[in-house]
Amino acid sequence: MKQYLLAAMAGAVATAILAVLLHKWDKARTLNRLQSEADSKIKTLTQTNAQQSASINEAEQKTRQLESSIARLSEDLARQSKSAGEDRAALAAALEDKEQLLDQARRIAGEASRLKSLAATFERWHEQMISLMTQNQDMHAKNHELSSIVKHVVIVSLNASIEAARAGNAGRGFAVVASEVRALAARSEELSRSYRDSLHRNDLTTTATFQDIQAGGKMITASLSSVEVLADQFEARLH
Amino acid sequence: MISSNAQAGIESILFKAARSRLPQQPDDTCEIVPLAHAHDSTRPDANVIILTISSILFRLLLVFHFDDDTGTRDYFARQTGDVSLQDVLLEVCNLCCGAMNQDLLRYFQDLGMSTPYVLSARCLPYLEGLKPDYLSSYAITINGSVRLAATVCVCAHAPIDFVADMTAVEETSGELELF
Repeated sequence: MKQYLLAAMAGAVATAILAVLLHKWDKARTLNRLQSEADSKIKTLTQTNAQQSASINEAEQKTRQLESSIARLSEDLARQSKSAGEDRAALAAALEDKEQLLDQARRIAGEASRLKSLAATFERWHEQMISLMTQNQDMHAKNHELSSIVKHVVIVSLNASIEAARAGNAGRGFAVVASEVRALAARSEELSRSYRDSLHRNDLTTTATFQDIQAGGKMITASLSSVEVLADQFEARLH
Repeated sequence: MISSNAQAGIESILFKAARSRLPQQPDDTCEIVPLAHAHDSTRPDANVIILTISSILFRLLLVFHFDDDTGTRDYFARQTGDVSLQDVLLEVCNLCCGAMNQDLLRYFQDLGMSTPYVLSARCLPYLEGLKPDYLSSYAITINGSVRLAATVCVCAHAPIDFVADMTAVEETSGELELF
């Protein structure tokens, strides 16, 4: 009986030892597993931490870049604001210039239009030519009459010479007078011819001069019309 | 002062104007021959018609000599009714000078033309007194029977040189020259 009890006790002790050993082995294995899991989590956390640090660094870098960009954009904005102000001033100046040019174009067109009335002045001068030429024609007629008289005097003086010759010695004095009258008539005839030539020269010079004035007036009027058209076109472009 | 090219150009322009404006019918012939003398001294008692084209550089006097004979009267004034031969000739000369003026405008920007005026042919020797740089006369015969003459006298105030291009197509529309 005692043997059986001892055997049972020995069996119980052995079982207890075995149980203890098993318990330790199980505990050790659990510890190892936990340790392994902990290591794994630490490693994961370390990696995550490293990634987050990288992300933070990247975010900080981006932040710096954005700040730099904002600063640059601010400078650009300031510069463009300044430029816009200058452009507005330039535009205002250009508009003022345009108004002045428009005003000048209108004045040029107006002056050209006004000066075209000079044509009437040139025509008035030309009418004076008609008056002068009428006077010349009158002088031509008078000179022609004078020439006729002189020719008649020549004939009369010739007749007087003939009559003086017929009178012989008594007519000598009369012959001298007749000869003198004929000489005077010849000089008058020459003077009349010269006067006629002068009148013709005067006719040509007067006509050429006044036609030049008239044609020149039309030339100036045409040129002023061109100026007026150009000024009108310039004004139309400015509108 | 007027180059030989310019002289030839003025002559060509005159010929073209005369041939286009003096004949009263399109089929009428118009012969133009240069004259040795600057004025037609064979008809001292005749009248001439004178016109002027002015520019900044020169003035050009164009003189037409017409005979008041039956042939001229029949040719120019046959169909004009009560209008006198002189008035008809003034109109013809005005048109001819106007044609020259139009052609010269291609080479000279600013030109003006006078109205025609009648002078004695005895005045023509004094054209020399204007000190012309170019003076030339031409006998013109229309239809072999109507004889007239033209004198061109150019006084230049500056050197003139241009080459007339006479190949351009002539405008058929007549321009109205008021006088």
